[in-house]
Formats: sequence, structure tokens, C-alpha cells
Amino acid sequence: MSARARVPWGLLGVLAALSVPFLGSRYYTFVATDVAILALFAVSLNLLLGYTGLVSFGHAAYFGVGAYTTGLLMKKAGVPFVLAFPAAGVLAGLLALVFGFFCVRLTKIYFAMLTLAFAQIVWAICFKWNDLTGGEQGMPEIPYPDLAWLERLPLVGELRTSDHFYLLTVVLVALCFWLLRRVVGSPFGRILTTIRENPERAEFIGVHVRRWELLAFVLAGAFAGLAGGLFGIFNRGVFPDFIYWTKSSEVLIMAILGGMGYFYGPAVGALVLLVLNQQITSYTEYWPFVLGSILIVLLFAFPGGLVGALDAGRRRLLRLGRA
Amino acid sequence: MQRRMFLILLPLLALALAGPPAALAQKPIRVGFPMPLSGPAALYGDPALKGAQLFVEELNAKGGVLGRKLELLPRDSKANPDEAVRVSRELILKENVDFLVGTLTSAEGPAVSVVAKENKVVFIAPIPKTDQLTAKDKLHPYVFRVAATTTMEGRSIAEIVAKWGVKRIATISFDYAYGQDVTRAFVEHIKKIKPGVEIVDQQWPKLGEADYRPFINAQMAKKPDAVFSSIWGGHFVTFAKQAKPLGYFDAIKYNFIGAGEIAAPETTKAMGAEYPVGIWGNTYDAFYWDAAPAAHHDYTARLARFLKDDAPSSWSIQTYIAMQFLTAAITKAGGTDGDKVAKALLGLSIDTPHGKMTIRAKDHQADRGQLYGKTVKDPKYPFAIMKPLTYVDPAKFMD
Amino acid sequence: MPDPTFLFAQSLSGLTAAMFLFLIASGLSLIFGVLGVLNFAHGSFYMLGAYVAYQLVQVLGRDPAAFWWAALGAACAIAVLGGLVERLLLRHLYAKDVLYQLLFTYALILVLSDAAKVVWGTGQLSIARPPELAGATRVLGTLVPHYELFVLLLGPAIALGFWLLLHRTRAGRFVRAAALDREMLGALGVNVSRLYTSVFVLGSFLAGLGGALIAPAKAIVPGMDVEIIVEAFIVVVIGGLGSFWGTFLGAVIYGQVLSFGILIFPRFSIFSVFALMAVVLILRPWGLLGRPLKT
Repeated sequence: MSARARVPWGLLGVLAALSVPFLGSRYYTFVATDVAILALFAVSLNLLLGYTGLVSFGHAAYFGVGAYTTGLLMKKAGVPFVLAFPAAGVLAGLLALVFGFFCVRLTKIYFAMLTLAFAQIVWAICFKWNDLTGGEQGMPEIPYPDLAWLERLPLVGELRTSDHFYLLTVVLVALCFWLLRRVVGSPFGRILTTIRENPERAEFIGVHVRRWELLAFVLAGAFAGLAGGLFGIFNRGVFPDFIYWTKSSEVLIMAILGGMGYFYGPAVGALVLLVLNQQITSYTEYWPFVLGSILIVLLFAFPGGLVGALDAGRRRLLRLGRA
Repeated sequence: MQRRMFLILLPLLALALAGPPAALAQKPIRVGFPMPLSGPAALYGDPALKGAQLFVEELNAKGGVLGRKLELLPRDSKANPDEAVRVSRELILKENVDFLVGTLTSAEGPAVSVVAKENKVVFIAPIPKTDQLTAKDKLHPYVFRVAATTTMEGRSIAEIVAKWGVKRIATISFDYAYGQDVTRAFVEHIKKIKPGVEIVDQQWPKLGEADYRPFINAQMAKKPDAVFSSIWGGHFVTFAKQAKPLGYFDAIKYNFIGAGEIAAPETTKAMGAEYPVGIWGNTYDAFYWDAAPAAHHDYTARLARFLKDDAPSSWSIQTYIAMQFLTAAITKAGGTDGDKVAKALLGLSIDTPHGKMTIRAKDHQADRGQLYGKTVKDPKYPFAIMKPLTYVDPAKFMD
Repeated sequence: MPDPTFLFAQSLSGLTAAMFLFLIASGLSLIFGVLGVLNFAHGSFYMLGAYVAYQLVQVLGRDPAAFWWAALGAACAIAVLGGLVERLLLRHLYAKDVLYQLLFTYALILVLSDAAKVVWGTGQLSIARPPELAGATRVLGTLVPHYELFVLLLGPAIALGFWLLLHRTRAGRFVRAAALDREMLGALGVNVSRLYTSVFVLGSFLAGLGGALIAPAKAIVPGMDVEIIVEAFIVVVIGGLGSFWGTFLGAVIYGQVLSFGILIFPRFSIFSVFALMAVVLILRPWGLLGRPLKT
């Protein structure tokens, strides 16, 4: 990535994202918050999927537990966001440690199914534990973090609470992306790639495969938990549906659609799937048909995901330019 | 590198997100309508949408309200609170709807209520029954309900069962909010008004259980005299298809009463001769309700024409009444200002196809009863109907 | 409390639940075992099977064997649909990551569920039990409906039929070989592509048949596709991939766990199948009768 030295794309991206509330539409802020949070969720999954080659069907468990953690702490215990937010990551990470311990002993589809089983058990608990989680009806009305100090700032002060929360989300998500990028760029990241390419070989050259897989599992879970913590607040409530297997499959679809082979691929997948969903549902009741057809077309037109296709297109352009 | 792609995509998406241009001149009043339109709950969401559409069509043909037309914006909430919140916010933020009418499940209602409160948009729930929606700590100026509550439904049924002279009662309900709440309301009320009864068994299949046989068998083993069920709608069809051949209804001598609209014409029609005729059930509406107020006959005829169905749906009435209330409140408030309409709804009485109905000022709850009765075969119809059909006025056990 | 009649009845009801599930899971297991495809749209085929059967019953009307013709017709129709899907679309994804197949079948669920909604609406539909099986017989003091009895016998019959097909025919040997090593099979001159299509068609046939046969015991409603798929997958995985008897065993155990689980923990139903899968996979990482996977 020589580009990093020349143009600070990351910083530009964050600045672009931060400017959304100033476009004047509350709707843009709403969509952008949704996209930012689910992008983090999808990228966290990709640590397993794209980098380690582990398919999780139960990633929503950690997202949901994070959402419940932050939600419960802020709503019922009155804990401030600065503590309740990291707590989501910690608790989701701990849960991932326990479940991951069993899951990494399994391979391929069995691994996937065990992650699903654990997630569904967590879902069932949240669905049933009326006293703590509100059961099936969930926990509506999670308070926004206290961002009153932002109101005293120039420019930003004019914005609404939801805009303030969005700005906070962008900063936190960007921070998480930065951390995750550091992780995959580190020697640890390279170990994961080695495991993905050939676990036997990795074992042979002295890599303790299971241990590293477990670490990846915990990290992915923790970041999913952080995404969940933000999402519960954004969604104005936490519901057991956050954990249901359909949510896990949705995030999987985002990652595959965007491109598992790229760090930001799943983020693009989240963006595209959310916007498509939003647009189609507001034009037709027959959204499943339209969305399904579009997905099939995208799948056949862009093998390797959207980012993969864009990347290939860019390279072709560069080659043309040089010729 | 991919980040650059990301940046290229952003403006494109911004373009795609831009909504249609605002309508000109006499703008219609926009009503957002989040409702499950896909998946299992579409069974009710779809006719519910039709009821609102009928109302809007008729009203607009007559010139609308305060000279403005109504515009209904339906969105699929997928019977999922998360999605219901998402589409409700989209309706408010992007489509600038003036009001929200809709939601079906007990999880969707309270979730959307929060959105309504934060955006100060009047929200009328036509179907969710959960007590939580209008509970004291959840109530806010903008939420209203025209459905019966779980308390009202459970107690209405207890009143009926109390007259059966049965001692050993069993319950079977889905293990989630609606099932738990309505069962609790039933059990508490029957124990109060009929101290001698004993609850001998409680079965809790999961929502949407595919196979009820183990539960049915376990329940029969406890030899109850009567059963209270809240296995609702389409699930009841599956339940009854499995229970009937096992001799379940015979064993309890058809002393079976079901909450959750199990005697709705849709359900008895779907099952035809298979329906366990002789059980008790309820419904929101029945096209064959002879003793109904005059307005009901007219409504049924219009709905039948609208749906092109001689035995029209029982679910449409709920959204029809919700829209009636909304329109009446807009008229009373003289405009679409959220606060004024919310105030106008308090204590508002209107004439519905089911007679006069009032939204109580103290808990924003309409005194909406339901139709109860014993199912019988009638030579006039190829499916079971309830006879006699009783409209149970919930007024005396709303609190 | 353990009255033997009751225990028998309870295990029988669990077994009935199991056989219905096996009808669906068997096709899934076959496709899964041979093609390695996680066909999430299997539930959609099952749902369409029920809808088509309903339609055919309406068309055939008063024919005394209407239900049986309808079931067969529905199964064949779904088999054709499956064949088309495999030939036109799915086969182009075999070379790709298994996840792309997953995305494809996910999209297929969306498309097919909406197609069913357009054709049959959102109402609940129901097929009556065939008249010759409408009655019930008392077995050891328990009332057993004839239709349930039929399904109780059909399940093992299908399993046995499959075993014979896989172990006693040439095509069956190829199928088993394909499950183990598809490259080798191709190298031996077997037309793997045609084999895959046949297996997918057969699997779809079973899904359609399952949907049609379950209809007399279940309401036909939108959403029944997604409702069944996870449970069916779990049964397949519990039994062990590629093992037909494993799927059968998985279904039987699931039925019994559900049946007796609710006696001990009345509110266990929501956990049952997942708890069972978690326990089985922790103790036996490749299912009850499965073999360790090649990596």
C-alpha cells in the first residue's frame, strides 16, 4: 500500500463521512449511521471469513450481546457510554472466548453449525429472559450517550442529538477500523492468512492453529460486540432479533457481496445491501423478489465481490493508461 | 486502494438516495403504514393493509379530509421490531409522513412507539395487543391503540370459561410475550371469579412450532376438562390438524377456547371440513355477524367488493377503525399538527362498523372488544361459523 | 408418573415429528453430501411442493386419489424446477467458494418466497387428509392417526430405498464416490456434471414430496420455507454429513429429545434442537455417523 504514504485516504474518508450531517437531511444521517455500524459488524466478521477462512453462521450472537450489554448498562444501570461501550466489546469477546474454545476444534461446516447452535442458544436466552432482556419485546428506549458538550462547539452545536451520535459513531468506527487494520497487517494477520491457505502446513511449521484461530474468533466477536453496542442506541432499542440466525446470514451476505478478499470489501457490501434494501422496500412490496434477483445478477456479474470487481476494473484502466 | 473505490461510491449513493421531488400545491396528508407484508405474519398484514386502503380510497373519493387527500405509504416491517423501527424512521425522515398507523406483533408496537415519541409523530397501533404498549411507564402523548389488549382478551375468555362449569383447566400457548401475557391474564382472572378451578397443565411450545404432537400428547395425559389456548391464526391450523386426529378435542369434549382469532373466517375457511367444529374462539370481525350494527352490513359489502371476496377478511376492520380515528382527530384538530391531533384523540368517540368506540384519555386505549362464540356448522357456508356470535364489551375489565 | 402407555404415546409423537422432519432433511442431506452445496433454498422447494400440491388438489377435485396424484405431481414439478436451477445457474458456481453458493441459495429463497406470494397470496391454505387415511387406530392404548402411521412407515421406507440405491446400484456407487472425491470420479470417465444434476433433481424431488406430504398435517403459509430450513440442517449435521442413516438417526433423536425434554423442562422447546446440536458437535465433532472431513 504505497498509496498510504501519498494520500491520507483514510482521513479523507472519515472527513467525508463526518460531513454527512451538514448535508441537511436527517435521513442521510440516519442511513449513514446504519451503514457505518453494520460496516464495522461486517468487517469484524471478515477477520474470520476472509482472513482466517472460518465461516461463522452465528456472528450475530456477539453483535447482539454487545447491544444488550451497552443497552442494559446505560438504560437500567445508568452507566455512562464511555464505560458501557467498551463493556460491549469485552463481554462479547469473553463470550466468543467461551464459544470459540469449542468451535475451533471443529472444521468447515461443522464449525459453522456449532457457531450457529451457540448463537441460537444465546438468542433463546435473550428471547426468554423477560426480567433482564425484556424477552421477545426487547428493550426499547436506550438513551443516547450524553453529548451535551458538543452543543457548546461552533458548527457542530447546531446539529441534532442523532447527528451528534452519528459523529461519535464515525469516530469510533474509524478507530475500530484502524485497530483492525493494524491487526491484519501485523505478524498475527499473516499467521491467520497462512492458516487460511493451508492449516496443515501452518501446523507443520509450528503454528498453533487452534490458539490463533481462537484469538481471531475473540477479536472478531469483540468488534462485533462494539458494533452491536452502537447499534442498540442507534436502533432506539435492543431486540432478540439482533441475534437470530437471519441476522448472521445477513452479515455473511454483506461480506460475500462486498468481497471477502479486501479489508473494506464487507463495508462496501454493508453499504450496498442496506441502501438496496432501503430503496427497494420503499418502492415495492415485492422487495424480496427484486432484491433476490439483483443479488443473483451481482453474484454472476461480479465474482469476487463488488470491491474485487472494482479493483479489477481499476487495474485494467491503469494498464490502458500505461499502454 | 479499495478506500478510493469507497469514496467514488459515496456520491453515487447520495444520488440514489435522493427521494422523489416533493408534491405540489395542496399536499396530501401522508400516513406511514409499517406492517408485515412478507413471511408468516403477512397472513394478517396483507388484509390489514387492505382495510386501510379501502378507507383511504373511499375518503379520497369523497374529497378527503379538510380538503386534503390521504396518502398511505405501506412498508414491509417483516414482523421484526428492528425492521419496523428502520422503516418507521425512513417514513418519518425521508417521506415526511404526518402520522404512523400500523405494526402487528407485540414486539413491533412498543419499538415503533419509541420512534413516534422521539419524533413527535402520532402513532396508532391497530393490532398489537401487548399491555406494554400503553403501560404507565411506556405511555407518551403520541401513542394510541385500537386493538384489544392481552388483559382484555384473557379476561373476556375467563368470563366465558367460568360459565362452563369445568374444574381442571389446562393451557397451551407460545412461549413469548403475547402467549405468556394473555395466558397470565386468563389464569389470574378465572382464579379470581371462579376460585374452585385448578390449572392442571401448561404447555409452552415455541413460537411457530412445526410439530405440536408431543405437547398435545403430554397435555392429554393430564386429563384436563377444558383448555385455554393462544396458538394464534395460521399456527392454529397446524395445531388443529395435528390435534384432531389424536382425539384431543374429543378428550376434552370440545371444551376448548382459543384466543388469537382462531375462529376468524379466514381460518375456518382455510380448514373447511377439517376444522374442529364445536370449539370456542374469537375474531376481530365476521362478515356473517347478523346482529351487528347497521353500519357493519354496509362496511362488509364494501369490503367484499374491494377484496373481491364474498367472505371478506376479519383483519381489515382493525386498520379501518384506526384510520377512522385518525381522520376524525384530524378533523377535530383542524389540521395535521402532531400535538393537536394527539390531544384530539384523547377521549375521542367515533361510530365504527362495530358501533361507538372511544379512546380513553387516561391510557390512550380504545374500548375495542372482540367477537366470541362457539363454532358450529351452518348449511349456508362450507365452513364453520360462530353461533351465537357475541361482541364482548371489554369496558368492565379494562383496568 | 411414568405410565407406560403415556411414555409410548409420547415417544410415538416424537417419532412422528421426526419422520416429517426426515422427509425434508433427506434431500438436503443428499445434496449436501454429494455436491457439497448448502442448499438454503431447500426449504423453498419444500414450501413450493406444498403449494403446488394444494393447487393440484384443487384441480383434480373429486378424484378419490386426488391427494396422491397431487403429491406425486408436486414432487415432479419441484424436481423439474430443481433441475432448471442447477443446470442454468448453480452449476456455474461449483468452481467458486462454497460461500457463493450460499449467497446464491439465499437470493433464491427471496425470489421463490415472493413468487409463491404472488401466485398463492398470503392466506393460509390447507389440504385435507386423504380419505383412506382419515381414521385412526388404537395401538397399545394410544390413538394413532392413519396418516401419521403412513408417514411413520414412509420415513424408514425412504431411508431403506436410498440405502439400496446407494449401495446396490452403479449410479449409487458413483454418488457415494462423488461424495468422497469428485476429481477422481471425473478422471475415471464418469460424467460428473450429469451426476450432479441428477442428485440435485432427486433432492428437489424429495423436498417437493416432503412439502406435499406434510401439507395434510400442517397449514400452508408464507414463511414455512425459512421455518423448516434450520431444523432440517441441524438434523443433517447431527447425523453426520453424507451419512443417510445419520440423518435418519438425527431426526429420531431430535424427535425424542423434544418429546421428553418438554416433560422435564416444560419451556425447553425453544432450545431443544440447538442444545442437541451443540452437545453432539462438542462430543462428536463430525456428527454421530459422519466421517472426519478432509481439509
